[in-house]
Amino acid sequence: MVGENNYNLLPDMLPIYYTRLFPQNILCRWLTCGSAPQPLSNRELSFTLADDIYLRYLTINNQKELQTLLQKKCPHKLDIGGVYNTKPSIGRHDAVVLSRELVFDIDLTDYDEIRTCCQEAKVCEKCWKFMVIACEIIDKALKEDFGFQNILWVFSGRRGIHCWVSDYDARTLDSPGRGAIADYLCLILGGEGQNKKVYLGSDNLHSSVRRSLNIIDKYFEELLQDQEFFSTADGLKKLLKIIPDEGLRSQVEKVLDKMNESSVQRWMSFINIYESYCRENTNAVRKIRYLIEEIKIQYCYPRLDVNVTKGFNHLLKSPFSIHPKTGKVSIVFKPKNAKSMKLDEIPTLYSLLDDSSPDNALHQTNMRTAVKNFQEVVFSLEKAEAMRRRNDPNMSVEF
Amino acid sequence: MDLNIKRKSTKTAVTGSLVETYPHDLQMYKIPPTENLSLKEFETLALERVVLLRSLATATTLKGLRLNSEEWTDYILGDLRTQGLKYYVKLCEKSACGTTDADLQARRKDHIAHFILRLAYCRTEELRRWFIARELELFKMRFATMRGDAIDTFFRLNNLCYTDITDEERNEIMHQLRECTSYANAENTKFYKVKFYEVLDLVKARKVFLKGGYAYIPHKDFISVLSAQYRTHLKQSLAKACHHLGEVEQDERLVALLKGLHQSYSGNDYSSVKAVIPIETLDTLSVKSYPLCMRQLHEHLRTAHHMKHGGRLQYGLFLKGIGVTLEDSLRFWREEFTKIMDLDKFEKQYAYNVRYNYGKEGSKRNYTPFSCLKIINNTVGPGDCHGCPFRHCEPNNLKNRLIGYGFDHQAVHDIIDITKKGHYQIACSKYFDASHNVDLGLGINHPNQYFEESQKLIKGDIKMDQKKEKVVIKKEINDLDGIDFDEPLD
Ligand code: SF4
Ligand SMILES: [Zn+2]
Repeated sequence: MVGENNYNLLPDMLPIYYTRLFPQNILCRWLTCGSAPQPLSNRELSFTLADDIYLRYLTINNQKELQTLLQKKCPHKLDIGGVYNTKPSIGRHDAVVLSRELVFDIDLTDYDEIRTCCQEAKVCEKCWKFMVIACEIIDKALKEDFGFQNILWVFSGRRGIHCWVSDYDARTLDSPGRGAIADYLCLILGGEGQNKKVYLGSDNLHSSVRRSLNIIDKYFEELLQDQEFFSTADGLKKLLKIIPDEGLRSQVEKVLDKMNESSVQRWMSFINIYESYCRENTNAVRKIRYLIEEIKIQYCYPRLDVNVTKGFNHLLKSPFSIHPKTGKVSIVFKPKNAKSMKLDEIPTLYSLLDDSSPDNALHQTNMRTAVKNFQEVVFSLEKAEAMRRRNDPNMSVEF
Repeated sequence: MDLNIKRKSTKTAVTGSLVETYPHDLQMYKIPPTENLSLKEFETLALERVVLLRSLATATTLKGLRLNSEEWTDYILGDLRTQGLKYYVKLCEKSACGTTDADLQARRKDHIAHFILRLAYCRTEELRRWFIARELELFKMRFATMRGDAIDTFFRLNNLCYTDITDEERNEIMHQLRECTSYANAENTKFYKVKFYEVLDLVKARKVFLKGGYAYIPHKDFISVLSAQYRTHLKQSLAKACHHLGEVEQDERLVALLKGLHQSYSGNDYSSVKAVIPIETLDTLSVKSYPLCMRQLHEHLRTAHHMKHGGRLQYGLFLKGIGVTLEDSLRFWREEFTKIMDLDKFEKQYAYNVRYNYGKEGSKRNYTPFSCLKIINNTVGPGDCHGCPFRHCEPNNLKNRLIGYGFDHQAVHDIIDITKKGHYQIACSKYFDASHNVDLGLGINHPNQYFEESQKLIKGDIKMDQKKEKVVIKKEINDLDGIDFDEPLD
């Protein structure tokens, strides 16, 4: 792919990108709507300039000002912050954040302990599937469980995805509320010192967990093949460490160690051993009732950066901002299309502006689609916001 | 609140009006008391309620008993009895709507005392949090012990009208209701539908069925809705009380009393430092005087030369608290981080953070080091190494680490045993004993307290050679004033 090292071209290309391709208008409408009832000027923007110079508390009154600001500063990266009670600025300590989209940040680096194809900043089609699953699970939960409708999904620019929920109830949620949603969605807990990170207890499974498992099941075998979680000695050891029951663990170890290395086959025989073990040891069953489910979740379920969600004024990269290292555009995508997204088909600054690039045509098309996706979300948000205003004066819930 | 203090108590209320004012054992303290009160009674009531709240704190955070479990309630009631607070026992044991004089007097005292403490506890964020946490526990306990008809009255008196969902709606989602709530017979339970943000604690714990933004809660879980409301109410009232402190505090005697109440009960938040600790000594200190959570972070930093945000915050503030200066701190982090990144990157991305911890950036608050409770309740994600090892590490890994540090097997066994039972801070105290070769049984509530105790011990402030002293110290520690101010409430 072209461009990975065209870092020094950024200053030349960004101004053109911002004027020609960056959807200023839609972004402003999205921000305006998402700031209501406060004016757009109470929203914090922040720019990262060349050499990591960081400008916080920038504000705009309208699209024109955004345009001027972009031209003047030509930011390498554009972040969006909260909506304040007044126009925020550096010196103002009386400015407090009143609202902010509910956001989620999922990054593949948090999958390093399970993915085998890549580590750290790297990402490939194989591990992208983790993002596909994450997107589907979170999207469903936000819609079905929490009743949110205005949800924007954005590629983070390198190895992850962001989600912005703009429903009024979500935007005005306080931090305990955000925390509760984050905790509700977070099934994987514990740091490096913890091998088994998922505990589902022994009562009924919550319907949302069950729904997530159904989603995981659609991808599980594919992931086993891609990632070969259990084929190496190391991978197998990790699996064994998750099994809390010693009897079961030693049985599994004995059998899996000797057999064919394919993770799919090892998984199948693990299930067999597990099932017969449960039949024979009825009193052990309680503790390991959902072991299979727990393992699937540990290996596939979204790993949220909960601090981003809990924090109320965390800055997050704007849609259509450029990732300064990869040159990739933070495109907006539809969750149902996440699966068919190809990483090298995500438009980059270089391919978009260089019509001799072999990717140019395709990337142009994908850029247009992404803008259209953004538009759709913004339109429906505007509609919802208009409705809310109409019903507003006495919207408060009655006790 | 309008309190007129007189030298002598004046009998104001007639029983008749008391019946009207206090129809129910459980109140939501919406209206402040207006009667005149002697300073003496004022003081007594305040102190007695502090005792009550303390007792709750001990049960929850020190004994580690599960909220509203039988042991928890028993412990509190037992404690109140020993302390001679019969009227609180009465109110807590079984909330009802009796009308005897004893009932009414108990409610009156409860009412007044609650409002006095608002004045004492509205002063700082920490105090407020602590107060709200305790009052909520109290409220939940009293609601839980209430009988059916008293519940109905309570709802009516407080204008709480929620309607349950229709049979039709219920049948439609019966399956999910059964799945998501832990009650066997969902068929025969009333369900209410409320916005999900009214029952955050149930949402958080995934203990309720959610659909389209609504939570479907069984009758029994209704306490969550109430406590959420009650919490909001308390929060606002405390903010208001704080605003009006000036007016109340025109009486000097009152000022002294209210402040005294606070001081008699405020824990050290380790935000100001006495000694300066040079960073060259940190390696030694980490072995001798650090609690395990900090030792783990220190060692991680030394080997990985990097640390995620949560760890930098937890460790950075701890260092500040033990007396590492900002300059030293910057140097310390820089030396490690620049082993894997260039100086420029460090200065741009991380130095800010260090200065932030010292209140030199951002909102410029003087951040206080985290207490155990905060650390224990923190979320620790994959790849993080902060948190409390007794809480966030698997016992097996913990065991290996302790053995690796050279502790003897008995000690390790004891520590692990306690850890498994969920008494993290007690495990930490055992770790203290093991690493100092003593048997103090300290109550550890703050990593910086751990550090200070250790330093005291090493420098010989506490002499350990006599059995007698042990007892004295233990007693002191059991008193645990303000042990858990930093409890993260939400
Ligand atoms: S109990 Fe407190 S001091 Fe001890 S390790 Fe845990 S957090 Fe640290
Ligand atoms: Zn990969």
